[in-house]
Amino acid sequence: MLDGLTSLMPITTLAADAAASYTGSKDALASGAGSGLMVLVPLLAILGAIASALMLCFKVRTKLPAWGVVGTIAVAFVITLVGFLNWNGDGAHIAHAFEWINASWGSGGAGETFTANFSFYMDGLSWLWMLFVTGLGALIALYASEYMAGDKGYARFFGAFGLFVFSMACLVMGDNLVLLYLGWEGVGLCSYLLIGYFYTKPEAVAAAKKAFIVNRIGDVGLALGIFLIYITFGTVEYAELFPLISDGHAVNVAGDPISGWVTWAIPCLLMLGAFGKSAQFPLYVWLPDAMEGPTPVSALIHAATMVTAGVYLIARCFPLFTLSDGSMIALQVVGYVGMVTALLAATIGMAQFDIKRIMAYSTVSQLGYMFAGLGVLTTTGAAFHVFTHAFFKATLFLACGAVMHGFAGQLDLRKLSGLWSQPGWRIVTIAMFIGCLNLAGVPFTAGYFSKDMILAEAFITPWGQLIGWVLLFTAGLTAYYTFRVFFRVFVGPAQYEPGDEHHAEDHDHSHFHPHPPGWAINAVLAILAVACLVAAATYFVKPDEGKGWVGGLLSDSSAAYVSPHGHHGDDHPDDHGAEHALRIGDAEVIPASHPGHDGEDGHSHDDDHAEKDERAMKAGTFLGMDPHKVMYYVSALFGLVGILAAAFLHGPKGPAGLFIGNRTEAAHSRADKLLPMLGPIPTWAQNKWYVDEFYNMVIRVPLLVVSHIFHLIDKTLVDGAVTVAGSLPKTLAKAIRPTQSGVLQGYAGGMAVGLVLLLFVVWIVVIRAGGVG
Amino acid sequence: MGPPTLHELFNPVLFYVLLTLGAVGVALASPRKGVSPQIIGGLVVGAAFGGVLVLLGIRGNEAGDLPNLYFYVFALIAILSGLRVITHPKPVYAAIYFILTILSSSAMYLLMQAEFMAFALIIIYAGAILITYLFVIMLATQAPSEEKVASLEGYDSTAREPLTATLAGFALLAVLTGMMAHGMSDLQDSRQVIRPSVHSLEAPILGVLPNKVIREFEQAAVFDHGIAEPTVEEVNDGFDANLRTMAFKIEDRERFDHGLETDTRFRSMLPETIHGDTVLVTLPAERGITNAEGVGFTLIAKHPMALEIAGIILLMAMLGAVVLARKQIELGEDEKAAQLRTLGQGFDDDVAHVGGGM
Amino acid sequence: MITSLAHIAEPVTTVAPDIFGDVGVSLYHYLFVSATLFALGVIGFLTRRNMIVMFLCTEMMFQAAGLALIAFSKYHLNHSGEVFVIFVLTIAAAEAALALALVVLLFRRRETLNAEDWALLRG
Repeated sequence: MLDGLTSLMPITTLAADAAASYTGSKDALASGAGSGLMVLVPLLAILGAIASALMLCFKVRTKLPAWGVVGTIAVAFVITLVGFLNWNGDGAHIAHAFEWINASWGSGGAGETFTANFSFYMDGLSWLWMLFVTGLGALIALYASEYMAGDKGYARFFGAFGLFVFSMACLVMGDNLVLLYLGWEGVGLCSYLLIGYFYTKPEAVAAAKKAFIVNRIGDVGLALGIFLIYITFGTVEYAELFPLISDGHAVNVAGDPISGWVTWAIPCLLMLGAFGKSAQFPLYVWLPDAMEGPTPVSALIHAATMVTAGVYLIARCFPLFTLSDGSMIALQVVGYVGMVTALLAATIGMAQFDIKRIMAYSTVSQLGYMFAGLGVLTTTGAAFHVFTHAFFKATLFLACGAVMHGFAGQLDLRKLSGLWSQPGWRIVTIAMFIGCLNLAGVPFTAGYFSKDMILAEAFITPWGQLIGWVLLFTAGLTAYYTFRVFFRVFVGPAQYEPGDEHHAEDHDHSHFHPHPPGWAINAVLAILAVACLVAAATYFVKPDEGKGWVGGLLSDSSAAYVSPHGHHGDDHPDDHGAEHALRIGDAEVIPASHPGHDGEDGHSHDDDHAEKDERAMKAGTFLGMDPHKVMYYVSALFGLVGILAAAFLHGPKGPAGLFIGNRTEAAHSRADKLLPMLGPIPTWAQNKWYVDEFYNMVIRVPLLVVSHIFHLIDKTLVDGAVTVAGSLPKTLAKAIRPTQSGVLQGYAGGMAVGLVLLLFVVWIVVIRAGGVG
Repeated sequence: MGPPTLHELFNPVLFYVLLTLGAVGVALASPRKGVSPQIIGGLVVGAAFGGVLVLLGIRGNEAGDLPNLYFYVFALIAILSGLRVITHPKPVYAAIYFILTILSSSAMYLLMQAEFMAFALIIIYAGAILITYLFVIMLATQAPSEEKVASLEGYDSTAREPLTATLAGFALLAVLTGMMAHGMSDLQDSRQVIRPSVHSLEAPILGVLPNKVIREFEQAAVFDHGIAEPTVEEVNDGFDANLRTMAFKIEDRERFDHGLETDTRFRSMLPETIHGDTVLVTLPAERGITNAEGVGFTLIAKHPMALEIAGIILLMAMLGAVVLARKQIELGEDEKAAQLRTLGQGFDDDVAHVGGGM
Repeated sequence: MITSLAHIAEPVTTVAPDIFGDVGVSLYHYLFVSATLFALGVIGFLTRRNMIVMFLCTEMMFQAAGLALIAFSKYHLNHSGEVFVIFVLTIAAAEAALALALVVLLFRRRETLNAEDWALLRG
């Protein structure tokens, strides 16, 4: 309990920081010099968006909007980098931009205020996200400046791009849940706008609508979650909210303890929001369709950044997920849903032929990994995987985009082959290769380390055995479908068949020549390929913590409430490490396997690390071995098996196919003969397990039926009532119409008779009232 | 005298029986195709309304006054000529009968000492309006052609739903007369006879017209008998409009005494007392404000706004009549062109429309 | 000094009542004649088809109103009622001018004075 209290220390200091920062004094800026500058990041992004919008209005036809947005985002990245380097890792700082909502009522006491400012909460989690959002944003904007060249909606694209970076910055850096929600909806809007960028294509419009509508479901959950948080805790500001939670117990701002249904309802609602935005089962269906948008959008929004917002949300609100008195039902759901998503998406991805779509399913699958990581209590693993995935998936997407760009929209892997051998495609192929290695989890790549971290934690966590095995199997599938693309498209005999998108210079189909990427695309791909390697290197920064550079960042953030309870964490000498381990101990995640040792039954929390170490070790093993030690080899094994399978089924003849492939033309490979042996399963997988059809049948068709019924009711009952109401006066009018003869004497007679009646009534009244006569 | 009731004025049963008889008469008198009992109808109406008037006269006689025969004669003439207006098949005759109605009405005005309005009515209605009617009747009649002898139009010779209309009209009459009879009881001294020469009618007017008062006394030859002519201020202070008396200074005692002895008219104007050298003189009954003067004074002094509005209405009616009755002239293309040439080059085509547009 | 003049002042003799005299006719008598003329005007307006005669009937109703106004004026001993008859005459004259002009126009159009031929307001 004592340690629990000490854990509040950084938070309380950051609250003090917040107070200082609100005054806008120089001291606050000095204490977090880098953080204060972060106010400029969303400002720059929105300036870029506004400039693009203006250029759109003035019909600028040059590349000016691209340079505006690339420039502002690049400056934003530099600011972020400078700020990060100035950040001394001492917890959170708050950079106050301006007062947004500040309301109070009653006496203005506890629970009678509502504050949500445009302030930015800079801790390790925010820094991590902002670094790759702005960095990748700048690179992909640069890529898009060439990729989108010549398109009519150039300025529109970059306007939405800038707006996206602004929204993402608000989402990630906001110091309260309302600002997060603003950014959340903002990125959703930009996603919608950019998916439907080619609004003349019906598929793009349908995909945009699908994304928006499916996201509604999640966003309702998030909104309700935020409402419930405010009702329960009385605040939505992180700096006030998180200190209220310790040891899995929470109080509200007035100091009253919180228990009951809200402790699981809040995380479940937040989780629903995360599922929508991050395309988890069953709400993942929008993401593959979202590939109708331009490839840079797919790379940035639908692979690297926006879709990880769900991971960010759960990581940011991790204390809330540890609320429910140790049962952590929401986290278990997150873990299992992530597992199902990872497996399902991987199986679908294996059967697709469109390489961009394969990457989309791969993204869904990898997001499943991240959620599984969160579910097995390793925010570090999840965040690290987000970080590495952002780089290698952006690389893969941009490489696919370059192929699509060069071959007039051709994405079918059966119609492309041997890009390596074609002039001008070397850099793309190398970048693709590096990306594939990462995704497949080949040893010593970034993807390998981050995936291992999740897998190892899965086997340690009490409820994680099944998750671990499924994820391991999925890792093999991932390696297979990744290298299936590589073996078919990038190596082997040089063949191609152009797509049906005609560029301005390709009037005649028969004279089509693929045009290899220019300097911007090549440069970006090269930088990203290098960045993938650098990301791997971050695993070895601060190796004593065993969680790499990302783990170090997260240890001071709100996501750090659960630390890896393996040996590394416990070896950590300072208070944080100890208390993290202890939290697992008394958050009752262990009791499933240790019925005798659970609870707060006076277990001394200060007892030696060795005991906790032992308990943590016993919490879960991989076939009796320490997962942290063996997982490196096991996952590498699965990955290699997958790659070999891909080479066997799809690899070209010769060394490029590892000498086991026999493909000699683009369209056909050994898989065509072997896959039918599996019966209808590949077809089912290719048709996405008929999930869309299932949704159609379960949701859309009943809705249509019901709406038809209501339409019928409307037509007959409501319209009938209206018709009756209208015909009634009409009939009446028909009855009395003959009195309007049009003859003057008729009206005069009416007047005379009326006058007689009036006078008679008056007379009678006079007699009665006056009693005269 | 307590408030009189309907029964005091007349016998209601007999009254309504007579009204019903009148209604039957009007219905009979309405023009019809074929045999039309118009004469019988007229007689019935005359009998009915004559009976009503006699009834009213008898009641008036019971009250102690003799009936004014002139009133009954002119009332009957007005009613019967009014009946002819609405029943005569020929519009010209109807208009002539309406003149008769107006004449008898103005006679009743005279009986009420409203002589200005009586003559104004004759001049304006009979002299102007009805002449206009006659002209229009003549204008709006088709010229008799050779094959079609001038005859009555079908719509003139047949009344339109005479029974219903008579029922409505007499119901209105019954209600109106009944209400009037009840209204009488609410009026102060409702039996009051409408009398001429009621000086209180003039008092408020005389009181504000000092020069008029001086002139009236002068015309009564008051100042011929040694009485000083007063100034306007003296009249304002000294004239009692209600008693029509004024205290005058005696200027020449001898002429005054002489006048008293010789002039009986002068003596009749003097009250019983003389206060030293002042004498109180009463304005003779025949002198004072005439009806025309009273109407004119009231018109200007009390209703100037209504007078202005009446003027505007007349002006607008004149303009309207001119605009409406103007003959439309259709100009052909040649005439338009000719007109354009005379107007010269400076005008555009609209000029032509001014000439032929209306 | 006040001297009584009673002996020299002759009493004012009133006109002896006779059947042509000015007594015995009350307000009600005139109102009755007025109401009768009005009712006859109404009946005429309803029964006649000739537009000119119909206007003549309205003039008769005006006339009835004028008679009642004069009678009330005399009863109340002021001139306002008479003044209002002037206004009634004004309106009657204006109406006659406009209405007859309209009648002439209508007659030019259809060569008839039958009011029933102008029934454009028929429902």
